[in-house]
Amino acid sequence: MIQAQSLTKHYGSKTAVDAVDFTVQPGKVTGFLGPNGAGKSTTMRMIVGLDRPNAGSVIVNGKAYHEHKAPLREVGVLLDAKAVHTGRSAYNHLRAMAATHNIPTSRVHEVINLTGLESVARKRVGGFSLGMGQRLGIAAALLGDPATLILDEPVNGLDPEGVQWVRKLTKQLAAEGRTVLLSSHLMSEMALTADHIIVLGRGRVIADASVADIIASAAQDFVRVRTPQAGALATLLAQDGVTITNIELDVLEIGGLTVSEIGERAAAAQISLHELSAVSASLEDAYMKLTQNEVEYRTGDASTRHETEAAR
Amino acid sequence: MSTVTNTDQPTASRASFVPTGSGLTFSGVLRSESIKLWSLRSTYWSFSLVVVASLGIAVLMALAITSGYDSASGTAMGVNGPQLFVLAATAGLGLGQLIVAVLGVLSISGEYSSGMIKSTLTAVPNRLPALFAKVAVLFTFTFLVGLLSVVGSYLVAIPILGAKDISANLFDADVYLPLLGNVLFLALIAVFAIGIGTIVRSSAGGIATVLGILLLLPTVVALFSMLVEWVQDIMPFLFTSAGSEMITPNTMESWQGFLVVLAWVVVSLGAAALLLKRRDA
Repeated sequence: MIQAQSLTKHYGSKTAVDAVDFTVQPGKVTGFLGPNGAGKSTTMRMIVGLDRPNAGSVIVNGKAYHEHKAPLREVGVLLDAKAVHTGRSAYNHLRAMAATHNIPTSRVHEVINLTGLESVARKRVGGFSLGMGQRLGIAAALLGDPATLILDEPVNGLDPEGVQWVRKLTKQLAAEGRTVLLSSHLMSEMALTADHIIVLGRGRVIADASVADIIASAAQDFVRVRTPQAGALATLLAQDGVTITNIELDVLEIGGLTVSEIGERAAAAQISLHELSAVSASLEDAYMKLTQNEVEYRTGDASTRHETEAAR
Repeated sequence: MSTVTNTDQPTASRASFVPTGSGLTFSGVLRSESIKLWSLRSTYWSFSLVVVASLGIAVLMALAITSGYDSASGTAMGVNGPQLFVLAATAGLGLGQLIVAVLGVLSISGEYSSGMIKSTLTAVPNRLPALFAKVAVLFTFTFLVGLLSVVGSYLVAIPILGAKDISANLFDADVYLPLLGNVLFLALIAVFAIGIGTIVRSSAGGIATVLGILLLLPTVVALFSMLVEWVQDIMPFLFTSAGSEMITPNTMESWQGFLVVLAWVVVSLGAAALLLKRRDA
């Protein structure tokens, strides 16, 4: 269990994490979402004591991380960047980490097998691909058989098999009663893996709920309709609580009505439909809605950029 | 069935996983630092170079001593066998000092540049045990390598110097004390360099600082002392001067030289410990 209380971190005049409160429960996979610069990595670094909070506190399994007698058995952590000396082999890196906690070499071999690193374990980490580096990071996180796992972008750079493996692994670890906190920018993957979501935006918690609740609260299911009489149908259905968006000339996206309601009313008005399908809102839709005002580094709009260049 | 099942309980109320097994100990951290030191090729290269340079220069120095030497001129110059043996056996350590200085800086700055420091500090969140273990491990192995170098150099000098009837006994205090002094200073340079590397957190900056203190500072202070007279009084308190004072006392006692060297090391390590504890990793 991870509990943050008014956790705050400034870097110079910039507030990276702004009085954040949250609890990460054991037995679940909790997804940690947010745009770049929202404070996810900083929060994770503060949990394991790499960064010191300017105010507030965060405790893991009842204590500050550094107060535990066996930190690696309480928390296994994979941080976004490689945290391995490039001149050392994967095996020796894990052996050195294990030695601090008197973890036997047999456990080092176990995590090497578990993460599929057997063939490269004796090679120097400097030559590793991003995916191999991630596997080594996950192996290091699992070394102490920890009660809490904190994984920053674990699937970044992994092949599809690896992505699926991380999904199964994290679910299984949560099922064993462990606390799993996971960040990722892959919304579809997160929707499959996480039970609970915490969304950060500009250093604040902007959502903290189950995946279903997040989707339900932030994004709307809609119905996709293809009809040659789009104008007529739009006029027919226009009423309070119904949103109609004209996607293409003959395609409408209609929110607030069910498939059967639209079908029946179109039939009554003798409007022919070529397509009528319910589309469920995705976590990605919900995430975009939640964070649209919180994005720190927004991709520039191509057209405005041209104008600025022309103006120079 | 008498078995109590709770399979219908929701996920959230599942029993929390309780971690078990061995914990963090200082001896474990020592072992970890030792594994770290010996799992990098640069360690083997550096230490080999210290030994080889020491042996090679010992041979050259012994040959230089014996060329044109006879016992009459030696007695006339007031040099004796033990002094000449110490001179030959330690002549190559100057290069060794530079090598272990670089090794000391890299042992910590390499962790910062590669990101390894995050792994180190999450395993040892109180941080200082990791620094002190690194110091203890590098000090010990540098001392052993230094010992191997001077004893080996002493041995290779025996046949060359012996040809001119120059002799000494390794277990004579006039021989082993200066040799051990040199080895101790070598190991303390490595420790001093770890401190600087921790403070600076960059390989280039750390190496420049340490080599600057070892090589450049004496020259700069000597130049200043020509302009300002009292600056001359600082000279013996420089790291390198104090090192030679502790081995061959000149303006101060041997133990005083040792205390000055120790002061440099303590200041470097103290500042390193303070910053390591305070700063974000």
